[in-house]
Amino acid sequence: MPVERASGGTSLIDVLDRVLDKGIVIDAWVRVSLVGIDLLTVEARVVVASIDTYLKYSEAVGQAAPASKPLAEGKSHDELLAENVSLRAQLAEAKERVPRRRGLRS
Amino acid sequence: MPRAQKVRNRAVGASPPRRALRPASNRPAAARGLGKYVYCVIQSSKPQTFGPIGLGAQPAPVHTVHHRDIAAVVSDTQIQLHDPTRENVLAHERVNETVMRKFTVIPMSFGTVFKTEADIEELLRSAYEAFREVLAKMADKLEFGVKVLWDRDEMVRQIEAEEEEVRWLRKQISSERGSTYLARMQHGRLIDRALQSRSERYLGEIFERLRDVSVASRVNKPIGDRMIVNAAFLVSRDKEAAFSARLEDLGTRYPHLTFKFTGPWPPYNFVNIRLKLERAREATP
Repeated sequence: MPVERASGGTSLIDVLDRVLDKGIVIDAWVRVSLVGIDLLTVEARVVVASIDTYLKYSEAVGQAAPASKPLAEGKSHDELLAENVSLRAQLAEAKERVPRRRGLRS
Repeated sequence: MPRAQKVRNRAVGASPPRRALRPASNRPAAARGLGKYVYCVIQSSKPQTFGPIGLGAQPAPVHTVHHRDIAAVVSDTQIQLHDPTRENVLAHERVNETVMRKFTVIPMSFGTVFKTEADIEELLRSAYEAFREVLAKMADKLEFGVKVLWDRDEMVRQIEAEEEEVRWLRKQISSERGSTYLARMQHGRLIDRALQSRSERYLGEIFERLRDVSVASRVNKPIGDRMIVNAAFLVSRDKEAAFSARLEDLGTRYPHLTFKFTGPWPPYNFVNIRLKLERAREATP
């Protein structure tokens, strides 16, 4: 079967790829430092730093990246590398927490 | 979080676990040291419930917190850092997928906990315009993931069969007369270039075939050297079947490529709302 179909939440890697830093994101340090965002008692307010929606059909030409070429999609190669490192760390951590008898499905 | 819950690592999937709920306590959540974990933002003026499908060893009941006509989908949770464990991450996704069946969602990134409902109302109030704008843009659209993999060795064999110069160099190398260094370098360069141009051609053709059944697409960096396409497509709900059929066509057309098709997902790849918090005092000098 050349086309493998799976519903969204069946591959941990696909899920991690989406949920960690996409969608609505609130400043990382706040999450780490406050642990439970508390707006009212500390008199903080929410500021929208940026809104991006991507509603264009990307032109595939020149976008191909076999093997090693980084893609120009707003992030620099270094940023992507840094992101990779953090994703790998989190993935390793996640793997460790999974009981041995179940492997990762991807 | 008690470690015992890790043992109960459920099979992954959309179906909510069947578990008897503990009798609901009438005390307010904050009084029990609980905060609210936020999964996504939807448009709804009426309170909604989605059942016991949230984070936690006993999956928490998922409900909504409202401001005007928008709502955050939340569940009670211990106020703590939630590690992106398999169980937690999949619970986050499970809630989004469940809510998505009835609503357009703007997904929240993993691990966002507020202290109280009032804090969430404040969030909804402050970013109301942004949420409304994005909800309108994403209305009735779903994300699908498409990954395309090839067998690199098989592609190299094809290239060697089809391209005379590559074949000639290969012969030079295997004849092993004198130094083969330059021949090997050149062979490698030609193979790389040929792989690159083939992968670009596939990418172009695949995107062209999916263009009229989708609204938008994004190309992510391929993972590993077997992957040539790692993309996300935004598709109208009413085009879902057409999109899926088109992918089946592609699978038939390119039997030597492997297509991995996932979704529907919340539109993670098509929305990025960055919020920051400011101390009110700092904001007014």
